Amino acid sequence: MSQIEESNVFSSEIPEKLGALEERIWPLKQEFTPEMLAEMESMLASRLNRVVATSLAGCIHCGMCSDACHYSVSIPEDKTLVPAYKADRFRKWYKSRYDWMGRIFPSFVGAQPLTSELAEEMFDKLFGGCTMCRRCTYNCPMGVDYGMMVRAARSMMQQVGRCPANLQETVDTHYNHGNNMAVPQDEFIETIEWIEEELQDEEGCENYTIPIDKKGAQYFLTLNPREPKYYPLTIQASAKVLNAAGVDFTISSRYWDLTNYALFNGNDADARLFSMWQAEDVKRLGCEYLLSGECGHGYRALRWELPNWLGGVSFKITSMMELMAKLIMENRIKLDKSAWKGHRFTYHDSCNIARSGGILEEPRVVINAAVDDFVEMEHCKERSFCCGGGGGALAMSEFSKRRIAAGKIKADEIRATGANVVLQSCHNCTDQLKEIVDHYHIEAKVMNLAELLSPALVL
Amino acid sequence: MENAVSHALYILEEPVQYIALSFMALMYIIKISTLLKKPFPAERAELKGDRVRGSIHSLFNVLRPWDMESTSKNLYFYTEFMIFHIAVALAIGATFIIPLAPSVMTPTVTGIIMLFMGLACLIGLRRIYRRLTVPEIKIISSPDDYFAIILMTVFFAVGDVALWFWTQGQAETLAMWVFFLMTTFFLIYVPFSKISHYVLYPFGRVNFGMVFGGRGILNADNPKATWV
Repeated sequence: MSQIEESNVFSSEIPEKLGALEERIWPLKQEFTPEMLAEMESMLASRLNRVVATSLAGCIHCGMCSDACHYSVSIPEDKTLVPAYKADRFRKWYKSRYDWMGRIFPSFVGAQPLTSELAEEMFDKLFGGCTMCRRCTYNCPMGVDYGMMVRAARSMMQQVGRCPANLQETVDTHYNHGNNMAVPQDEFIETIEWIEEELQDEEGCENYTIPIDKKGAQYFLTLNPREPKYYPLTIQASAKVLNAAGVDFTISSRYWDLTNYALFNGNDADARLFSMWQAEDVKRLGCEYLLSGECGHGYRALRWELPNWLGGVSFKITSMMELMAKLIMENRIKLDKSAWKGHRFTYHDSCNIARSGGILEEPRVVINAAVDDFVEMEHCKERSFCCGGGGGALAMSEFSKRRIAAGKIKADEIRATGANVVLQSCHNCTDQLKEIVDHYHIEAKVMNLAELLSPALVL
Repeated sequence: MENAVSHALYILEEPVQYIALSFMALMYIIKISTLLKKPFPAERAELKGDRVRGSIHSLFNVLRPWDMESTSKNLYFYTEFMIFHIAVALAIGATFIIPLAPSVMTPTVTGIIMLFMGLACLIGLRRIYRRLTVPEIKIISSPDDYFAIILMTVFFAVGDVALWFWTQGQAETLAMWVFFLMTTFFLIYVPFSKISHYVLYPFGRVNFGMVFGGRGILNADNPKATWV
């Protein structure tokens, strides 16, 4: 039985209206018009913080980034996927406005005024040809931050209505319903209660619970909407680990969605709003920690961006990846490695968790505690290649073919490990890895870290 | 070593250089102050690492080719880069030493400078070839990219010839005139070209170090994990 009664806040109003009071559908355009270009021109100055301006001015066209990008490495025949080339679609416009030489002799430095053709190239390359994974940033001698620069470009295009339809729809759904898959509140509660029953049916888990809206719980566990919708077993696995360790946690019946696709379409107002809902919900329940589930961009949005969007927060923010490592290091859970005997594992570092998030060692602590046969990929930790599913790429159906092609380097590295289980901690990575494993004919299963620990727990 | 030059070359080597140098400095002050006026993205999250240490680490990554895959896998390219930039520093140094402290330009010192400038000239030629022939480099190259590398390559060649005459006791030669005329041109032109990237370099590296150092990705020896 769920502990929803404890707070007693929804007894009279379930389901309540979540999300924004007035629903909206962001108006999208199929092409750039002169009015849209003029609006983008008026926005440019406001997007140029010091990092973006330095990144736009600082490229020396050395080409060192060409081997760093999963697009240009996986699709070598298309030279327009080299990071410097892609960024130059934005840089050309910037130079025509701010570069001294670019204003006098534009063609000499490759400057170009913003035209609909250039804007379309920006759309194609910066939405459909970049996952903002920042691997090129790590390999740029000048320290050009492609991630921040590309987001600035995306934000202007999105503002004028040029954004991949499914990506914008995901943000709109979050805006209108409080989670990005429009899961109704009553349906969500029923799902969690059903998962709790399933969990209690497992041997040794009879007393395990998944508290909903438990006030004063230490950890406020957030989820990716794909979990209640398509992957309930991952919630069950996470709950099992937390219960086994005696962690005091709760799930909110309101703003439990940790995703924030406004990180990808560049809309800061929406990003701030989604963050605020979650922060208010943490405060409502009086939790000490906002606990990010296993989700790459969600973790980064909560851990590193939310405090900036909101101007600081009063609670702490951590993740399941970090918490599970902590529980293992403190001997709060016991694991039996024989549960995974006969399997070989490898781990894919999500870009937003590792390179942009700083979680490098924790997953290794978890994996090495649960299995004997773990093989790293050729490029791992902060050097890991993006799987191709980042930056909202999975929500851009118009670029699907390129996304799968760009996953080839990751598929090759997985194959080289000989692993039959690919571990990861991100739902976008899950879906992309499942697709590329299938597409490139690799015999491997994809699962997250909680799913790894759950069967190995000694209860 | 003797440094007897005509009044005309003296004018070029000193007052003209100082005026051009002042112009360059002014342009850089404007460029840097414009950048500094722009806000640095806020970081209000609880840090996992050290932003200052990250910045210092990042600033000196040029001396750690093993740090970045782009350099560790291209050590030949990196070596070229180092020689080329050392040659740039030596050439700039020579333009000051020749008029102001010619006695420093002993045969040994001149020989070292000539060696680096000669190598840099060859490297410049290879870089021009690379830019013209490697498709992924060619596609991102603008006329400014070609002009900058051609200019530097010619500058090294002229400098080498001028210094060879200098070692023969000939301080005022056509090569030396061209060398200083090119220096003057550089001082005025560089703030408007990609060659001024060295002014942006510290900004880019510090920005990188601030963001990723704070998140605990750099300086792995000093992590402040939030879950500890």
